[in-house]
Amino acid sequence: MNHDLSKLSAIYDRYPRKPQSLIAVLQDIQKEYNFLPCEALKQTAEELNVPLSKVFSVSTFYNAFSLVPKGEKVIRICVGTTCHIRGAKQIQEQLEDELKIKAGQTTEDLQFSLEVVACVGACAMAPVVAVNERYHGNVTVGSCKKLLKKGKKG
Amino acid sequence: MISMTINGKVVKAEKGEMLLKVTRREGIDIPALCHHDAVEPFGGCRLCMVEITKADWDGWKNYVTACLYPAEDGLIIQTHSAKVNELRKGVLDLLAARCPNSPEIRELAAEYGVPQTTLEEVPDADNCIMCGLCTRVCERLGFKAISTVGRGHSKQVAPPLNEAPPDCVGCISCAQVCPTNVIPYKDINGKRTIWEKQFELIACKECGKHTITTDFADALCERRAIPRDYFDVCDDCRRKELSLKMGSIVAWSREGTS
Ligand code: SF4
Ligand code: SF4
Ligand code: FES
Ligand code: FES
Repeated sequence: MNHDLSKLSAIYDRYPRKPQSLIAVLQDIQKEYNFLPCEALKQTAEELNVPLSKVFSVSTFYNAFSLVPKGEKVIRICVGTTCHIRGAKQIQEQLEDELKIKAGQTTEDLQFSLEVVACVGACAMAPVVAVNERYHGNVTVGSCKKLLKKGKKG
Repeated sequence: MISMTINGKVVKAEKGEMLLKVTRREGIDIPALCHHDAVEPFGGCRLCMVEITKADWDGWKNYVTACLYPAEDGLIIQTHSAKVNELRKGVLDLLAARCPNSPEIRELAAEYGVPQTTLEEVPDADNCIMCGLCTRVCERLGFKAISTVGRGHSKQVAPPLNEAPPDCVGCISCAQVCPTNVIPYKDINGKRTIWEKQFELIACKECGKHTITTDFADALCERRAIPRDYFDVCDDCRRKELSLKMGSIVAWSREGTS
């Protein structure tokens, strides 16, 4: 896969070219491309003078980073204790059925990624589903369909 | 020098050296799978657990990892008390579930009374105990070619991007320190393969025996300022050469004096 890597140098320019900048740089790359392209990891290792093995280790450690392209809309279903009790499982099944992917996967058209997370800190409105940065509370099997429609419209 | 009591015997030690070092010197066998003298202690496997107390602790006891606990005057240490063995047994039960096909783990577990794990065996186990010795040794050598990848259940040791690691020189140190021998490598016809990367092995000019990889030799020469032709002959032949030289010197000096 080829990606336009020209935006990388602007990202490197934002931080001191030191190993300490690794996470900040990776966050910016993730934001820019919606994932971390392999070539970008290699370049980052060189720019920041970090062993490539370390860059890979960090990129695979944090959930915020992804080595495969993420969908435009990332849907995160909370499956923490409270949400679990209040039916997160059914909501997950419903969304998986609708999107025809499993949690952790992305639709082929790169529209949606489905993820599960453990407690987003909004138990009072459990069960919670987040679409990108927007949190939706008291979600039901019926209402989560609407979330997708809204998501599709943008 | 300080003095401690290990299993009832008074033992002298340097203050601050790790208990594992002392027990090993005393010839006491404590399992220590994540430890290697070449790298800093790690405290990962929890098998080197020992019991410590002191005369003025009112019978209070503590359980610490010997590889990470510094020697201190007056420590009273038990390396194989019932409680210690119980702790090790617990760890080995877990390890036996994680590495059901590892002869090394099975043997050790059996020794501690776990012939078979009481837990569910991990399916498709890779038998890695995640001790990190391989990555730590590689880092210590300065190559930093491999690392742990992912986290939690899916954490594993791998080269970056799951491709042949660019920084690997094929020294196989990682494979040699692995306590469960799960890092495979092959030496065939003067070629070595490890982490799916291929290397050329140097053949000794005298006897033809294969020694180290050209990449490793290059790295050593660069860092330690060793002349590259140092690796042309193997250690055995170098020794032979040296003894011949010494022999002739001795012969020559005898001739000179007679
Ligand atoms: S063989 Fe490669 S990965 Fe293993 S210790 Fe040597 S340099 Fe590191
Ligand atoms: S591969 Fe071996 S040395 Fe490396 S972490 Fe696993 S068990 Fe330890
Ligand atoms: S468990 Fe879902 S928000 Fe806390
Ligand atoms: S050797 Fe001490 S914890 Fe592994």
